[in-house]
Amino acid sequence: MQNVRARPSVGAQFRRILQDPILAVALVGSVIFVGLTIILPLLAMIGESVSTEGAVKFRDYLGSPVYQTIISNTLVMGVVVGAVGTLVGFLFAFVQVKLDVPFKRFMHVMALLPVISPPFAVATATIVLFGRSGMISRGIFGVRYDIYGLDGLTLALALSLFTVAYLNLKGMMEALDPALDEASANLGAGKLRTFFRVTLPMLIPGIASSFLLIFVESIADLGNPLVLGGNYEVLATRIYVSVIGLYDTTAAAVLSVILLVPSLTVFMVQRYWVSRASVVSVTGKPAGRPDTIKFAPVRWGLFGVVMFLCLLILLIYGTIFHGAFVNVPGVRNDFTLSHFDFVLNGIGAEAIQDTTLLSIVATPLAGLIGMVVAFLVVRKEFLGRQALDFGVMLGIAVPGTIIGIGYVLSFNGPITATLPILGEITLIPKLTGGQGLLGGALAIIIVYVIRSTPAALRTGAAALSQIDPAIEEASISLGADNARTFRRITLPLIRPAFLAGLIFAFARSMTTISAVVFLTTPQTKIMTQGILNEVENGRYGNAFAYCVILIGIVMVAIGIMYALVGSRTGAERRIEGGGQ
Amino acid sequence: MFVRSLLRISLLVCLAAVLLNGAVAQETLTVLCTPQEDWCVAQTQAFQEATGIQTSYVRLSSGEALARIRASAENPEFSVWWGGPADAFIAANEEGLLEDYDSEAAEAIPDTYKDLDANWVGVYVGALGFCSNVDVLEELGVEAPTSWEDLLAPELKGFVAMAHPATSGTAFTAFWTIVTLEADKLEAEEEGTGYDEEGSPTEAAVDNAFEYYAALHQNILQYTRSGSAPGSLAGQGEIAVAIIFSHDCVKLQQEGYEGILTTTFPEEGTGYEIGGMGIIKGAPELEAAKVWFDWALSKEAQEIGPTVNSLQLPTNPDAEVSPLAVKLGDILVVDYNFQAAGAHRIEITERFDAEIAPAPTE
Repeated sequence: MQNVRARPSVGAQFRRILQDPILAVALVGSVIFVGLTIILPLLAMIGESVSTEGAVKFRDYLGSPVYQTIISNTLVMGVVVGAVGTLVGFLFAFVQVKLDVPFKRFMHVMALLPVISPPFAVATATIVLFGRSGMISRGIFGVRYDIYGLDGLTLALALSLFTVAYLNLKGMMEALDPALDEASANLGAGKLRTFFRVTLPMLIPGIASSFLLIFVESIADLGNPLVLGGNYEVLATRIYVSVIGLYDTTAAAVLSVILLVPSLTVFMVQRYWVSRASVVSVTGKPAGRPDTIKFAPVRWGLFGVVMFLCLLILLIYGTIFHGAFVNVPGVRNDFTLSHFDFVLNGIGAEAIQDTTLLSIVATPLAGLIGMVVAFLVVRKEFLGRQALDFGVMLGIAVPGTIIGIGYVLSFNGPITATLPILGEITLIPKLTGGQGLLGGALAIIIVYVIRSTPAALRTGAAALSQIDPAIEEASISLGADNARTFRRITLPLIRPAFLAGLIFAFARSMTTISAVVFLTTPQTKIMTQGILNEVENGRYGNAFAYCVILIGIVMVAIGIMYALVGSRTGAERRIEGGGQ
Repeated sequence: MFVRSLLRISLLVCLAAVLLNGAVAQETLTVLCTPQEDWCVAQTQAFQEATGIQTSYVRLSSGEALARIRASAENPEFSVWWGGPADAFIAANEEGLLEDYDSEAAEAIPDTYKDLDANWVGVYVGALGFCSNVDVLEELGVEAPTSWEDLLAPELKGFVAMAHPATSGTAFTAFWTIVTLEADKLEAEEEGTGYDEEGSPTEAAVDNAFEYYAALHQNILQYTRSGSAPGSLAGQGEIAVAIIFSHDCVKLQQEGYEGILTTTFPEEGTGYEIGGMGIIKGAPELEAAKVWFDWALSKEAQEIGPTVNSLQLPTNPDAEVSPLAVKLGDILVVDYNFQAAGAHRIEITERFDAEIAPAPTE
């Protein structure tokens, strides 16, 4: 925050917030939301793991060499995928910002594609392309390559997760003041020396934070290890089997806590790096266009590498699309529509309808809650401000499988309270399972919301801290209340961030699997669960058909959101007009 | 205002609720379906057409199904459970999870394929086999396996797949087959060491079976969730040999893997499943579940499988047998003790999950 004016004390601000009813409602609502939907399930899960039975399992697991291997597998995978993913993201960002080469737009789109990718899609396409009978490994190079294990997981996960590093580093590189490079050059340093001594050190917070984010996401991932893991066992798949195969929620809770430790540690370290990043890199608007690199071997070498990666991504998505229309992908490549027939006329139609509907309900909620919390956290000072921010961020920092188990443990029965006069009342009805509220749909909506809100919060907070609070203060001085100011001034100004939050929320909801895999019910069917069933049974054609439909729905939804939210508002036009 | 958008959102939520619960008025049935997905679709659609009962299903492999029924015993989500090896039904009944129903329709089914005291009736029968990819086998220089020992060949390292016994009834059938064979071996050496007085395999036999699977683990690429999945892996050439039900292999051959996959059987004897059916205790749609139960035993219902290439043998003697089906009389099957298998199921799957599945291979 660049606001340096004296602020009233935290306590005074807190009182002031509570005096404004709408602000108070927003604050109390946010706290209750975080408490009930994130903290409560987490505590239930931790409580289960430290029960007598759980304590025994803790000792067993941590003492057993087999589980030590699984834990180290998980961490090694996180580190390798984090490193490779960050490198790929860095290369894409570097080419985008620092090189003057063709096809940059294409590269940008390829880098964003993984965001809307359904789970299993990349892993399954990887097997079709590079498996033991892969179209490329076997078909072109004639080798039976063993993709199952760490190598396959690294390829699939790095290509699925590098987008976050790309966006992170691209933003930082664009924000770097070219004057620093010029100063370095004027002082006699060569390009290479400038890169290693000036540019890279300033990017380190971004690199570290990208690495850590990808680390957290990869150790939480369930879909890829299920398909590509081979005998490389990781914690996420062990948790899954404990619940699905044995319904041993205690074992699952214990394993979850073991997985939670590195996830949360790394997440907190990442937050620290981000706070460093904002100090180092945001130097205001760059003074000019960054100097592009002219040295041909570097320029075309990097271009070649990134183009190769783009073509790889294109090939993978091409395989998904192609596979949806052929009989047995990679084996019998004759055209058929039978996969779409199976998906659309079988169980799939219901899943498509349910998933889309639930995502449509969850998306505006996630966007709105994200923006409200961003507003509170960036603009207001109150006790527990950081805690609220952290609480919301837990929705994504905590691996999805753990959220799912937490929900099963907390909401499998009604939560009741006994009051003096009213007697026993139900505070929260049973949410999970077929007999849960709305056939278990509400639990899934809530999970969608908490998984997507963090992204909306971060984009919203980033956008808000760039806007001078004086604009809002002016609105208040002119007699508008807080709610009106938020709606008429703040929201329009952070509209691009809001839109990004919405798009992300929808894509995330449609593609999430690990958090809802334990929450689907006979009444509420989810597409990603359908994809999992098809992949698990080796019916890749059906799985690809699902993926194509899912990607189609997400694309259409993004188009609609642009049309709805993307139109310019009066306030914004006036501000832009005034600024010029 | 803020309040207005909140209002709008709650309206949306209500709309969603109405849409989701739209089809409540009609008589409904929720089937827990364990065979392959397309058979579940065909079977529930045929039932819906025959009876007018709005039928939906969830497909879960039998271990998952058992776990799910157990977890929701207080508040069952499903009314009837159709398909998957009978051991799982016996295990469920031991825990009191199945409803008592003396169906008259069950009289048509031979006694070997049902146990109404244990609340289940068989709806199909099928034998376990090896489903191999001929090209991959040739490349590895091995013949299609004809014994359980063949699967341990070092050439097959990482080229064998089976499902996880905790989730899949197929894999559990494979496990219990080895238990039976080991019990026979022990019994041949010294009477009384393989089977106890009640005819159920001894602990020693179970331990020997675990030893076999620990050795086989070195050759396993991965344990899938669903029993038939390794067959597709074999078809795609990702592995050489899948341990699956032979009818699932024939199904794959019918659906694109003709000439790629071959079915063989172990000469020591193979296991088989009786696909069970039972009504869930406390079924929310008990009457509809009974209608399903009777219908599923009829000739018409048992002839639906072959239309979607599910070539299990029907248990109703009147139902026509597909010429493609593998007949039990043509192969050597072990004396599979379903009762003992069901009783040991949970203990074995938990032990398998703890000892075998997570162990690293060399």
